[in-house]
Amino acid sequence: MDGKGGICVSNSFIDEPMLEAYVYETSQIIENLETLLLESERENSFSEEGLNEIFRFMHTIKGSSAMMMFNGISVLAHRLEDIYFVIREEEDVTYGFTELVDLSLEAVDYFKVELMKIKNSETADGDNEELIDSLMVYLDKMKSDNGLGAKGDKKQPAAKAAEQEAQKYYIRPSNEEKAEADYYSATVRFKEDCEMEDIRSYTIVHNIVDLVEEIFHTPEDIIDNEEAAAYIKANGFSMVIKTTCEEAVIKEYLNKTIFLESLQFQAIGKDAFELFRPQVTPETVKEDVKVPKSSKMYKEKPKVAKDTSVSLNQSIISVNVDKLDSLMDMVGELVIAEAMVTQNPEVGNLEIESFEKAARQLHKITGEMQDMVMAIRMVPLSTTFMKMHRIVRDMCKKLSKDVDLEVIGEETEVDKNIIEKISDPLMHIIRNSLDHGIEDSETREMMGKPAKGTVTLEAKNSGSDVLVIIRDDGKGLNKEKIYEKALTNGLVDRSIEDMSDREVYSLILAPGFSTKEVVTEFSGRGVGMDVVSKNIESVGGNVLVDSVEGEGTSIILKIPLTLAIIEGMNIRVGSARFTIPIMSIQESFRSENNEVFVDTDGNEMIMVRGICYPVLRLHEFYDVDTGITSFDEGILIMVEEDDRSCCIFADELLGQQQVVVKSLPEYVKKYKKIDGLGGCTLLGDGSISLILDVGELRLSEPRRAAGI
Amino acid sequence: MIRIMIVDDAAFMRESIKLMVKDEGFEVVAEAVNGLDAVAKYDDCKPDVVTMDITMPEMDGIDALKAIKQKDPGANVVMVSAMGQEPLIREAVLSGASNFIVKPFAKPKLIEVLSSFGK
Repeated sequence: MDGKGGICVSNSFIDEPMLEAYVYETSQIIENLETLLLESERENSFSEEGLNEIFRFMHTIKGSSAMMMFNGISVLAHRLEDIYFVIREEEDVTYGFTELVDLSLEAVDYFKVELMKIKNSETADGDNEELIDSLMVYLDKMKSDNGLGAKGDKKQPAAKAAEQEAQKYYIRPSNEEKAEADYYSATVRFKEDCEMEDIRSYTIVHNIVDLVEEIFHTPEDIIDNEEAAAYIKANGFSMVIKTTCEEAVIKEYLNKTIFLESLQFQAIGKDAFELFRPQVTPETVKEDVKVPKSSKMYKEKPKVAKDTSVSLNQSIISVNVDKLDSLMDMVGELVIAEAMVTQNPEVGNLEIESFEKAARQLHKITGEMQDMVMAIRMVPLSTTFMKMHRIVRDMCKKLSKDVDLEVIGEETEVDKNIIEKISDPLMHIIRNSLDHGIEDSETREMMGKPAKGTVTLEAKNSGSDVLVIIRDDGKGLNKEKIYEKALTNGLVDRSIEDMSDREVYSLILAPGFSTKEVVTEFSGRGVGMDVVSKNIESVGGNVLVDSVEGEGTSIILKIPLTLAIIEGMNIRVGSARFTIPIMSIQESFRSENNEVFVDTDGNEMIMVRGICYPVLRLHEFYDVDTGITSFDEGILIMVEEDDRSCCIFADELLGQQQVVVKSLPEYVKKYKKIDGLGGCTLLGDGSISLILDVGELRLSEPRRAAGI
Repeated sequence: MIRIMIVDDAAFMRESIKLMVKDEGFEVVAEAVNGLDAVAKYDDCKPDVVTMDITMPEMDGIDALKAIKQKDPGANVVMVSAMGQEPLIREAVLSGASNFIVKPFAKPKLIEVLSSFGK
């Protein structure tokens, strides 16, 4: 129980939930810290509130990291805390703002890397000596520039004053010359690692004054004196006391001292006591003992601050995403189970009114539950967007370009799982824009553009999708160059005239394409836009490229709101069921056999309102047995994705339903790659339906390309 | 059972303290995220002892300590401080803090300090 582990936290304490809480909170603080630093940088100064906040952030990081024994982080935060402390404390202090922001951001990066290591159960052993040295140099320079003394700072005079004050409350004037007093000497020894022994002694003296007439102690100066702490550690804290209280009372009080290792207590004579009296005659002032001046900030703070954020802070709890995922799964199952019950054919035949009423109620509640679960998982894009400010800032510095990042619609919400996957692509696109897209100021001015470039990051809802648009006002894409490059890389086999602008631009998304010969630090490290495209596709989205040469480029990421639930149309082919996402369906219609014709390659086509669409017979495509092979018996469903469409031929429509998307089981995926399947879902009757991924089907060329 | 109220703006620290006092004869009757919150909640739960962080937004631990002491002179408040905050701890002691503990601290230390406030 004596905590011999020094300042270490006992190992039993560091367990998973603690680590999780630490990583979670510290990551958030670091994110806020970074945002705040970047904001301040834009304003070119720290606001008072901002400074306080940065100081508190550093303080919290220091404390929490020390508790977890991540000393690298803790020490670095401590150094920064020291710097911000001085800036916050000293009025009119001058300091290198830009340098401080740079150093602070460097520290933020260090924290991030270390946290990542901690998250991945690696040792947080990053070397930060250089940064710490820079911070020390910075602090020393700031202090000497402002005449604050290299080590001392303002604490010193305050402490001196406090020391003098402290001398005064040795005596209780009210009890003076009352009865005969007794004299005792006492030596308190603290446990080895209790820390701040001087203040602990100070606490004893401060709290004992009600019991004693006079008290003198060794060491005398127990206020802000490191030597005192060391002395007490080595020799204990000795007092001589003059009191009218019972011996037992005093002894009991001293014995209650926390972290008491041992107490020596004995009665002494008056002469012995007087030996300790300091030469200076203490003034007999008491009761209104002055509080040692700490620092002005703690005094000046308004007693009653706004109490708004109190309740705000508390109404938010953090939940592990895994739990949300399984809740989502369960609600999905619930929706299916509900359908299994209410749509049970046997029950349907009974026609019970009360059952239908109950079923409707159940349906309403499960629907609401589903919406709520979805809403819980939705997070605004703002944090992801905020990160981009940092990217732009760093790039601008390194590339000596002047670029503004404009953010629109950052409050748009997207499923948590999706957000995680778009952060890297976004970063890559923005780097590309700054590196390749936006010209340097001189070129821009020559072209009649504002010297400062602009990158706009916009998010907006569009149906069940979210569009994230990254637009720059740079030099745009060169259609010919892209085509040539794609041609030499063997990525294209058509002539440029046959291709729409968008198609040509889309070539930059193809694997193995990169127009920049020189690999720069930021973009073009061998990973190209194809990775971006792949990442976005992996969450069911896609990438569109638009550009006007000389005016700029837009890259549009179309991402689904959520992966978990879609509105689908169930169709039947033979005994198999398929589900088509409603968003992809244009229309469905019956047709006569003679409306379908065969092109020169043997593909079936149908002409609808003057436009030709390929026909996809699902029963052939997936080799399903069905009695319906003639067009006048089944139904055609026109689907579209990215301007490309086709007509799917199926036996019949079964109806529209919200379905919970489940990915195909791993063993199926391993066994065979099946085109056109996006996943599967359970239907109300318990049967499995395969969800079609329209984008993967055999579709027509984009209409624009076809010249329509 | 010693009834404690934990005041800290850092969720991690609140969790740490909660975890440390678990199964040691304590009941965490309230948590507060800043000084104002603490002062407001103190009356409702009247804890045996309060652990009070010093650096917090809205109202810092020293002001909260003073406010609590004013309302209830018998309140037991243990300051949770860090290295480098010595002057503040002194001010806290003068303002009526019963004791203090220095971050980083280990469980036995915390328990030792808090146990002394058992009835």
